[in-house]
Amino acid sequence: MDTESPISAAAPAPALPTRHEHALRFVGSGSEYFRIWIVNLLLTLVTFGLYYPFAKVRRLKYFHGATELAGQPFAFHADPWKMFRGYVLIAVMLIVYSAAGHFSPMAGLIAFVIVAAVWPALWHSSLRFRLANTSWRGLRFHFRGTAGGAYRVMAWPAVASLVLVGTSIAMAPADENSQPSTALAIVFFAVLLAFWAAFPAFLWLIHRYRHDHMALGREHTRYNARVGRYYMLSLKSMLISGGPLVVLGIVAAIVIPAMQASTAGIAQRADAGAGAAFGVGMVVGMALFYVVLIAVAGGYWTARMQAVMWNGTASAHIGFASSLRARPMIGLWIKNGLLIIVTLGLYFPFAQVATARMRLHAMTVTSTLALDDLTARLGLESESAAGDAAGDLLGFDIGL
Amino acid sequence: MQALYFDGHSARATPVRLHVTEAALHAVAADPGGNAGAEAATAWQWPLTELVWPERTRHGQRTIELKGGGTLVATDAVAFDAWRARHGHRDGWIVRAQQHWRGVALALMLLVATVAGGYRWGVPLIARGIVAVVPQAADQALGDAALASLDRQWLAPSRIDAARQDEWRARFGALMDQAMPDAGRRLAWQLHFRSGGESLGANALALPGGHIVITDEMLALLVGHEDTVLGVLAHEYGHIEHRHGMHAVARLTLVSLAVSVALGDFSSVIVAVPVLLAQAGYSREAEREADAAAARLLRASGRSPEVMVLLFEKMGQQRDDKKKSESSASRTPNLPIAFASHPQDDERIRFFREAAR
Repeated sequence: MDTESPISAAAPAPALPTRHEHALRFVGSGSEYFRIWIVNLLLTLVTFGLYYPFAKVRRLKYFHGATELAGQPFAFHADPWKMFRGYVLIAVMLIVYSAAGHFSPMAGLIAFVIVAAVWPALWHSSLRFRLANTSWRGLRFHFRGTAGGAYRVMAWPAVASLVLVGTSIAMAPADENSQPSTALAIVFFAVLLAFWAAFPAFLWLIHRYRHDHMALGREHTRYNARVGRYYMLSLKSMLISGGPLVVLGIVAAIVIPAMQASTAGIAQRADAGAGAAFGVGMVVGMALFYVVLIAVAGGYWTARMQAVMWNGTASAHIGFASSLRARPMIGLWIKNGLLIIVTLGLYFPFAQVATARMRLHAMTVTSTLALDDLTARLGLESESAAGDAAGDLLGFDIGL
Repeated sequence: MQALYFDGHSARATPVRLHVTEAALHAVAADPGGNAGAEAATAWQWPLTELVWPERTRHGQRTIELKGGGTLVATDAVAFDAWRARHGHRDGWIVRAQQHWRGVALALMLLVATVAGGYRWGVPLIARGIVAVVPQAADQALGDAALASLDRQWLAPSRIDAARQDEWRARFGALMDQAMPDAGRRLAWQLHFRSGGESLGANALALPGGHIVITDEMLALLVGHEDTVLGVLAHEYGHIEHRHGMHAVARLTLVSLAVSVALGDFSSVIVAVPVLLAQAGYSREAEREADAAAARLLRASGRSPEVMVLLFEKMGQQRDDKKKSESSASRTPNLPIAFASHPQDDERIRFFREAAR
């Protein structure tokens, strides 16, 4: 029974590790998910949102079932009725939270503190719930992170946000004439700057918490990605997102003088039609630019972050590799964004499926064992039943 | 029916044959010799109440969830669906709707109808209910905050001296005394004087909690027509009586809530658009109600509602003058709750003429 201690992730070392590669495939289709999505949306609306957990379970069942690893699909097992309670609680909490700020800054601050105090526990519970209800080849996944770990991850940003909110309330002028205190302003901007500079590290903490504690059978993942990679990626991302802005600057330098010339001409001829056409052109141009800007930043970040996260995740016998490249991802984001706008949102489910397919097809799972030999830890269910029941008690799923 | 059995303890797959009886699902190892372990079971059964059947989809395999934690996976989805159908299984209506384009088209139509109907009737109805349970004290807090923010953004201090302001307050107070002698039914109101400046011009507005604001420009426009000014104030009192400000807030909240539920994972830019539309689209009916209140109060205080016709004529004139003198687009005030933002003058003139008879 010694081998059942939770830490003994290492199985007897194989003599000569041979690498088996297992492709991830996504077999879902956009048109099929569209049909699920539209029915979900209708039922959610006509039930004033009460159907939402059921819609979510349907969506996750579809996406899990359509994702195949080594030919076998994943499965999602959550009971929507259990999620319902957690969902209602979260909804009430968020409504109170958003309403509190309207009454007074102090009520908003108190609500913020309460939400901040319970959020890590909810996050932990939701991660656990999600993984405990996901299976592959009949084996349930497990999340082995602790609630304390979640609080440690969230503590720094929570403290920083509190300082930010607190100083911004203190800085609010009591009456028209009083000047905000300079010292408070310095504290505010110093914390804001530190917050901004620490953001990649914070993201790394979040990812590490998630990827350091996933377990399937005896395999327990570790997160090896260095925080430096996050800073590199953030820096590159900022530089690359600057690209479209530079293009915009050049275009503006050409277009604005031309526009001034033409509007002068329009004013002379009192040609309202041309003016309107020009206005429409400007709006379309700005919308296009907005889509490209988001697509370049988002597509690049998604592709590179997937590689950083999954190449940095491994367990004793399982590793992951992502070959997702930024350029096709950016192209997909542009296509999705434009089609969503043109179809007034109806393309959204197609976009989700296309993104899932591109992301999953770029993933490879490597293993030193034949996957059939991965056996679940004996007595697994009884050992963790209490823990997972606690997770089930509220059945939170914040949808991370 | 061929399937793979995963027992929930091991990742190993056992090929099985499935068959269903009245109360249970049975699985028999397809190749009992292959799994030669002495302890290896070769047949299993699960009560039908202890498993979750998969829903039909066009793509992917079929996974039966077993209560003990295991799964049965059928690779051949087409054969699986046919097998279930042979056993008398019929998909639920949600699954059927998802599987047929006809069902999906119906869902799409219902969705559009729900959104349109909910927007037109549902949201105002629920807003009415919400406002009914919200205490008047909330109106006060909201109105105070709204007036403070209007003062920052839109309004400037009035140039009318305090004595004349008090005269107007006394006049409107007298009108209210005459129109609603029962003081218990009158709501508290406060009359504020402000300068509307370039953006608002001749205007008047009502905020929750009894705040009535009239601009210097409006008084200048109606100089010499005291009863018309009182009519404008009565119209604003109507907004307060019907708690239109609170209704607008409730509707805004509802619409943004509904939109974020429907498009939960969507950008907040898109969320903001219908919210703005709601504000602009709803006020017509509120204006009608406030006009009705103005006519009622004018009549009850012994004045003719026809005095209001002058207001619309004056405002129309002013618009025409401005149109001639300048070509820029900044002439229309764009604060949606303000009086002059709803220029359906003909209809409203007709209303006050008829009310005067």
